[in-house]
Amino acid sequence: MDGMYVNFDEMNDILLEIKGLKAGIEGKEILRGVDLTVRKGEIHAIMGPNGAGKSTLSAVLAGKENFTVTGGSVMFMGKDLLKMSPEERSWAGIFLSFQYPVEIPGVSITNFMKTAVNARRKACGQDELKAGEFLKLMKEKMAFVQMKPEFSKREVNVGFSGGEKKRNEIFQMAMLDPVLSILDETDSGLDVDALRIVAGGVNTLHTPEKSVIVITHYQRLLDYIVPDVVHVLKDGRIVKTAGRELVARIEADGYDSIGR
Amino acid sequence: MEKIFNIYEGQSCSMVIICDGKGRRFLYPGTEGDVSVHDDADFSRVLMEAGAGLNMVYIVMPGAVADIGLTVDLDGKGAEVTVSGIYLCDGQDRLSIRMDVRHNVPDCRSRQLFKGLASGTSSTDFYGRITVAQDAQKTEAYQENHSIILSDGAKVETRPQLEIYADDVRCSHGATVGRLNEEEQFYMRSRGIPADEARVLQMISFLSPIMDNIEDVRTREIVMETVSAAVRTL
Repeated sequence: MDGMYVNFDEMNDILLEIKGLKAGIEGKEILRGVDLTVRKGEIHAIMGPNGAGKSTLSAVLAGKENFTVTGGSVMFMGKDLLKMSPEERSWAGIFLSFQYPVEIPGVSITNFMKTAVNARRKACGQDELKAGEFLKLMKEKMAFVQMKPEFSKREVNVGFSGGEKKRNEIFQMAMLDPVLSILDETDSGLDVDALRIVAGGVNTLHTPEKSVIVITHYQRLLDYIVPDVVHVLKDGRIVKTAGRELVARIEADGYDSIGR
Repeated sequence: MEKIFNIYEGQSCSMVIICDGKGRRFLYPGTEGDVSVHDDADFSRVLMEAGAGLNMVYIVMPGAVADIGLTVDLDGKGAEVTVSGIYLCDGQDRLSIRMDVRHNVPDCRSRQLFKGLASGTSSTDFYGRITVAQDAQKTEAYQENHSIILSDGAKVETRPQLEIYADDVRCSHGATVGRLNEEEQFYMRSRGIPADEARVLQMISFLSPIMDNIEDVRTREIVMETVSAAVRTL
């Protein structure tokens, strides 16, 4: 019976399990067998040089349709993530903070978020939020990323500065309260003040039940969001996994020294 | 016979015309906040005197067999016209829109904005002309036509024309035909908005600048409800 032994506590701790994931775009393979396990409460950093496949990984996890998965599996809370539509993944608790948040002319932040929040409530069998309840939630989460009240009336990301776009991503993250947040190059284009606001938001939302994957090229964001586990992604594979001390080594020696 | 609508000196008028399978109707805002419907008032030419104002909004619903033709003559200084429209074409709808705005005297302003969604095997033809006469200096005339094609079988043609004989004018025209943006759709879906709902949001936001041209609040609400319901069927 020894071989049948399963540590249920340990198993139930696993939020995301990626095994041998291969994916590409237009016939070009970018991810060439990625393995990654994220447990509840953990903060993972995925670092790597440009073109390593970092953004492809985040896009595949969020369900972007122009990427084709050619091998491997992704389980999220015991379910086959790759079979789920992007909206189902969101309802299940996955959130992707976009490297380049998309502008949606003509749609106000309020309308956008109300549609998103209520769609998820509906999918989960809950009643829609009453107007008053929704506005209270908006106000609370806007304050959280230091957005001014008029922000809610603006069109989604239209005319936003780089910092405002990233703060808007974290605002949406706060509104949707995900179990697993994937931050794709959230630090790009941020000045120090915006970086602090964004990182502060992520840290405040973090609980022992939730996990974060921080995808980044640089150490900068990891000074504020401190990872438990650090991976190096290179040429479509994770070539090194270690504790947070790896960040300093990368910063000192570069990616060339790793995964040879 | 050509029916002519005169707008006399200093008068202004705004109206919404709905075209659907049943024909063409005018929505008039009433005094008590209600909106009345008239289906007898039809015209194809507007003559505008000095300082006259006109704001016309066409709403073409799926199933309409419509041939919309309008000539606006700006005959008095300071006259100002805005003609805008939404068209929702589906199935085998055939729609033709012909706008002819003629700046005959100086100091007038005109603005045309038509936006539409084309689905099924529908066919839409937009022809818009601005003519600025030789002595119609200080004219401001703008025209835009934007369409989104929702199916492989739908066809949209757009032919903007500018004829300018004066030299001190501000005129422009622009036309685009495109599809719904997939990056926007993925962004919305990643936030939990279902694919069909994301499409509806995109389509309504695309059309919203024309809704904004409807001044009367109650009329705008009625049009918004009607258009939103129809967009969901495309």
